[in-house]
Amino acid sequence: MKKKVFTLLMILLVLASAGLLVFFLGPAMKTKESWHLIYIPKSKEGTNDFWTSLISGARMAAEEYGVTLDVMAPDKEQNVEQQEQLFREAVELRPDAILISPSVSTPSPYLEEARQRGIHIVYVDAVAEDPAPELIVSTDNLEVGRKLGEYTASVCDPEGKIAIVSQMRNSSTAEEREQGFREGLGALAENVMEVVYCDSTFEKATRLTKKLMEKYPDLTVIAGLNEDSSVGAARAIRDEGAEDRIMVVGVDSSLEAMELMEQGIFRCIVVQESFKMGYLGVVETIRLLQGKPQGLFVDSGCELVTKENMFDPRIEKLIFPFEEGA
Amino acid sequence: MRRNKSLNRFFGRFNSIRTEIFGATAGLLVLAALALAAVSIYSMDTTAFETSEEFSGKIIRQVNQSIDSYISYMDNITSMIANSTDAQAVLFGSSADNGFRVRLGEQFQTILKSRSDIRNIGIIREDGNYLINVAVKRVNPYLDLDTQSWYTEALERNGGFVLTSSHVQALLRGERPWVITLSRGMRNYTGGGGIDGVAFIDLNYSVISELCEQNSIGKRGYVFVIDEEGEIVYHPQQQQLFSELRTENIEAIMSADEDAIVVGEGDTQKLYTIARSSLTGWTVVGSTDVSVLLQNSRRSQRFFLVITIVLVVLALLVSGILAGSITRPLQRLQESMARVQEGDFAAAELPAVSGTEIGSLTESFTVMTNRIQELMEQNQREQEEKRKSELRALQSQINPHFLYNTLDSIIWMAEGKKHEEVVLMTSSLARLLRQSITNEDELVTVESELSYAWSYLTIQQMRYKDKLSFSVEADPEVLPMRIIRLILQPLIENAIYHGIKYKESPGQILVRAYKEEDQLILLIRDDGVGMDEEVLKHIFDRHKVNYQSNGVGVYNVQQRIRLYYGQEYGIRYESRPGEGTTARITLPADREEVLQ
Repeated sequence: MKKKVFTLLMILLVLASAGLLVFFLGPAMKTKESWHLIYIPKSKEGTNDFWTSLISGARMAAEEYGVTLDVMAPDKEQNVEQQEQLFREAVELRPDAILISPSVSTPSPYLEEARQRGIHIVYVDAVAEDPAPELIVSTDNLEVGRKLGEYTASVCDPEGKIAIVSQMRNSSTAEEREQGFREGLGALAENVMEVVYCDSTFEKATRLTKKLMEKYPDLTVIAGLNEDSSVGAARAIRDEGAEDRIMVVGVDSSLEAMELMEQGIFRCIVVQESFKMGYLGVVETIRLLQGKPQGLFVDSGCELVTKENMFDPRIEKLIFPFEEGA
Repeated sequence: MRRNKSLNRFFGRFNSIRTEIFGATAGLLVLAALALAAVSIYSMDTTAFETSEEFSGKIIRQVNQSIDSYISYMDNITSMIANSTDAQAVLFGSSADNGFRVRLGEQFQTILKSRSDIRNIGIIREDGNYLINVAVKRVNPYLDLDTQSWYTEALERNGGFVLTSSHVQALLRGERPWVITLSRGMRNYTGGGGIDGVAFIDLNYSVISELCEQNSIGKRGYVFVIDEEGEIVYHPQQQQLFSELRTENIEAIMSADEDAIVVGEGDTQKLYTIARSSLTGWTVVGSTDVSVLLQNSRRSQRFFLVITIVLVVLALLVSGILAGSITRPLQRLQESMARVQEGDFAAAELPAVSGTEIGSLTESFTVMTNRIQELMEQNQREQEEKRKSELRALQSQINPHFLYNTLDSIIWMAEGKKHEEVVLMTSSLARLLRQSITNEDELVTVESELSYAWSYLTIQQMRYKDKLSFSVEADPEVLPMRIIRLILQPLIENAIYHGIKYKESPGQILVRAYKEEDQLILLIRDDGVGMDEEVLKHIFDRHKVNYQSNGVGVYNVQQRIRLYYGQEYGIRYESRPGEGTTARITLPADREEVLQ
């Protein structure tokens, strides 16, 4: 009996001390580690609104969550070797995670090395062939293409001829959008005459579009699959004054794209939420590092913008980046 | 009864008193500690809340005032422009004189240079006359002014200013900035004084953001502004809000009657402090994380909780010790009582507990037990004495009749001049007398007892002449054994008077002593007439005292043996009429007093 009381008291004492530990060390254990992240986009800031907005989203999330984010960007999207080189350099720096938007689907030879060093690889916007991807934060590119295709099908003559200006060969983003576009077109998919690749430059897109117009005089629709290809195509139409017979549909917004829409050259643009993508890329990476990922694929969303809804406050908020001191 | 006892033992006999004391003290102490902790913890939160509400309330009202005066100031500028002759001339004048344009453009440039918070400043009229920022700035030809609220509302509102929420200004080519537009209708003084144009200022967020951010309301606290419709005017994380990456509970703010409300739950709980402006129609909201707000009080609460836990543990310990110290002597006393009850008086010796009531109780118990033990020992001694005296009484003197008869026989023998017989008989009688008189020891050796029997038999043989013959035999090992006195003689006497005496022919008596296993056996066998069952049945009867015997009957012998050695020992008779009788005395052969 005496012993029983004593053991009971001992148990209570032990429990109490455990409680003390939890109370005093608990909050200390929760303190956030300072992660080091490196983001390698396809192209540096300022080249187009999409990447500018995406990178600013990533930076803002990093600031908000108190992590270090270094952006190592190639000068142009077609500088595939430069991106490769940057990835190698990033691996050498041994960050906690590398976020990358691969320009081509071919996997980096340094991927395995990065994994061996315990560096988490997160794909943002685009993916490379990877046997075991950990996290992908991107627009659902099939959905982007599908929305574009469905709208096109709704406004296009059933006999109308369609051409696609894509950004890059062997790019996961481009391939998925093209596939989605054809799905969205439905029966009209048979009318797709040709797919050309502009290597993500406005000039080449414009040049190729003009060639397409010569090749197919009765062309009715040109679809651009990213900012460079769609704006490039729209410029060609504007230059030729062909907006009345050829409609342009495209992907990704920019100030120029919006002005081209106001002018009636773009019939629709599917807008990716690039800021959100960058922001979520960082946030989800932090979650992954904390060991509580939300899933393999995180969709940052997209919206169909037409001349009719482009002044909606909701769409405005998506299209135009907010800058405080501008 | 026994079952209850064992049950009690199992559950702890002093369980109830001990747990009662423990429960009462521990309960009281724990309750007090918990109540204290609860009150202080609760009041801490409330205090933290009230302090924070008051503090952020002040700041928010201050921000609100600053924004009001900022907007008034800006309105003054638009008002000045709207009424300036240069602006009138540019917008409504028909003269081709470019001087007004240039002068107004310069004025705009001066303002823009001195105020970095103004993005655009300008005047515009729907028919196409306009001047924005500089003389040559081109407007967006695709924009329909009628779709722009800052333009249409300024025309409609007679004289007052119009303030937009955050919106994208699409007026200029190649620019789509997020701004807040402050506009004011312009009267056409040359053409009748009707409102026919708009002067406006596009404000970027630098001043408002500065006002909001410099008035920080604590760690992770921030200030934001919403308009009458609940649209965001300014928020430090406007882009995140636009991208729906974060939300504010606008609905709760719009419907709030108080100056401070708490929204959300758990970790995301926020305290909104609200100030509304009648000038702008905007609402300035201060947001504070409740978790941050309560961080300090949480820390103190944690400390309090720890103290409480320590107090509770201490209370339990102290109560346990207290209950133990009170009940332990009681428990010991109870255990010792139980053992005393079972006859173990040594258990009554308890360690002295000084002072307390239980101490005196223990002492009394010890004294009482000692007294009982003394009394019991005394009683035992007295019983022993009584038994001894009883024995003494039973082994009484030689029957006087026997003595007279013997003396008569001696006299007759002496008269017949039978000297040798006289000598033998007298010496036998003398030995008999000496042995019966020496009364000091209760016990005698078997040898001595046999010799006594021999003396007695010798006398009787002489009295009965040839009618009696006898023999006394013994194993040598039994001779030194000690037994109680005078057990053989009464049985021999019985054998003579009831066996041999009535026999026609001469009788024989055999006395034999031997050891059988751990028993000492004394046999008295006669070949007399024997006894029928009726006689045998009454042989141990008390009243059966023969006047001719020496007065110590078979009953007495049996009684004495049983008194001294126990019920399992004694005399057993075997007899058959006409064949003789055997009396068999069984005594212990292995007892200490026997072997001595």
